[in-house]
Amino acid sequence: MFALSGRSALLLGLSVLGGMGALVTGSTSCASAPDNKRFTEILQPDYPTYRAFVDPYLQRRCGTLDCHGQPGRAYRIYGFAGFRLYNIDAGLVSGQQPTTEEEVLANYQAAVALEPEEMSRLIATQGTDPNKLMLLRKPLKIERHKGGPAMAEDDAGYKCVVAWLRVRTVRPTNDGVDFETIPQAEREQLPLRARQDCEEAQNFP
Amino acid sequence: MRRTSPTHLSNDGATPRRASWRGRLLGVAACVAVASLGSSCNLDPVHRAGVNGLGPEEADLYPVESEYHRPGEPCALCHSTKGPADSVFVLGGTVFWGPDDYNARVDNAYVRILDANKTKRCFVTNCNGNFYVRKEDFAKITFPLLVSVERTVKPLQDENTLVIRRMSGHIGREASCATCHIQGLRDFASPGQIRMFNSEDEFKAKNVPLVACPPPPEFVQVEKCPEDRN
Ligand code: HEC
Ligand code: HEC
Ligand code: HEM
Repeated sequence: MFALSGRSALLLGLSVLGGMGALVTGSTSCASAPDNKRFTEILQPDYPTYRAFVDPYLQRRCGTLDCHGQPGRAYRIYGFAGFRLYNIDAGLVSGQQPTTEEEVLANYQAAVALEPEEMSRLIATQGTDPNKLMLLRKPLKIERHKGGPAMAEDDAGYKCVVAWLRVRTVRPTNDGVDFETIPQAEREQLPLRARQDCEEAQNFP
Repeated sequence: MRRTSPTHLSNDGATPRRASWRGRLLGVAACVAVASLGSSCNLDPVHRAGVNGLGPEEADLYPVESEYHRPGEPCALCHSTKGPADSVFVLGGTVFWGPDDYNARVDNAYVRILDANKTKRCFVTNCNGNFYVRKEDFAKITFPLLVSVERTVKPLQDENTLVIRRMSGHIGREASCATCHIQGLRDFASPGQIRMFNSEDEFKAKNVPLVACPPPPEFVQVEKCPEDRN
């Protein structure tokens, strides 16, 4: 599954950076030659927690067709009651079939790929200073947000997202110079209080 | 931008709308004509394209520029501060009986809104299935909204529910129902026209009479939802 091993984290990192790299090499002719040996590994938040507790809230609160359920949003959200992930076999229609696993995964990737470096910093420091993340700055209206204030720091929804970002997914390696991904089975679970927040948030309004 | 053009064909065979490219060209021409007189055509090209894409009024289908006009179209696109209409709506839309038939629209349906301030308001559709809320009638409307639509058996006479449907998601900020509920299109980004029944057959089996619009003299337009009558 996703985000289970260091390798899959690495793969996402590579693919995101690969995309950026392609853009850069496509548009600038005088940039230095691409360096194949270097990549930035993206440290990712816990996917199973996201899937079970956070996604239903973000879908409901942010993902309507007139907000983040649009192809034009960098932070793009798919799901039953809004925008559907294109899939020629499933033929998903807004408001018909239940949200699919691929859609939840796409939502997760959108949240991570919005600011991969900032997300990595946050995960490496176990969720310290979460409000540096645009994902929170926008809805909190710390930064100008066309969708207005969609969260407040005392909201169950905000607490739910922050608790998710605090779930440890990486630990320092034995030699202390790098991070390694904590295997899924060894990860801590979302605390009960946070689960309750997430549940409350899903019932918005 | 969301697609506002109602002429897309649905991927599941819903009936296409009647506006033709010829009609659209006329619409553009009309707009240019008006624009050159210096009035309603807004200078915002995106807005203008959206409005022009809807085509001209169709006098054979409804009384033009009236509360009955342009059913299924995004009312607040035009009824906004950007024009071309003078009146500004904070909400507006059209309710249909089935998922496909453009011509079967629900009269006297109760459209209920619950806004973020927990203010509850109810509005009634007219004989063409249209309802609209002027800015001055709901000045403090605060998004997101929850919506339900109910039709009773015989409004005013038998207020038992014939059918009620709720939107499970919210409206985040959009004033026109039809911006999301695109007429004649059900796909990955549009749930299709607002419907009371899942199929046309299910509706036909109910034997509910359709009302002409403008309505015959015996038609009674309900002004208030049951909860607002004293
Ligand atoms: C932001 C986009 C959007 C807007 C604006 C919008 N809707 Fe919806 N609506 C949806 C979606 C998506 C669904 C299907 C999923 C769901 O039920 O939430 C839906 C479903 C519905 C349903 C339920 C249909 C069913 O299957 O039972 C009703 C009724 C409805 N909308 C009425 C309205 C009315 C009335 C308005 C205008 C006041 C409106 N909607 C405006 C997106 C929208
Ligand atoms: C293409 C633009 C456009 C669309 C879409 C549109 N209107 Fe209008 N409407 C107008 C114009 C122009 C007038 C002329 C009067 C005016 O300027 O307000 C008008 C007039 C009206 C009037 C009478 C004037 C008033 O304010 O009482 C009503 C009521 C009305 N429209 C309701 C609706 C409803 C309901 C819808 C959606 C189902 C809708 N309109 C969609 C452009 C539009
Ligand atoms: C808690 C829920 C929400 C979160 C986490 C969130 C987050 C974000 C983020 C990260 C961005 C910048 C990236 C982008 O453009 O996609 C953004 C922009 C935007 N959001 Fe939201 N948002 C939320 C709710 C909403 C709602 C409810 C609306 C509509 C009413 C909305 C409308 C917009 C729009 C139009 C932009 C682009 C313009 C801008 O950056 O201000 N958002 N949001």
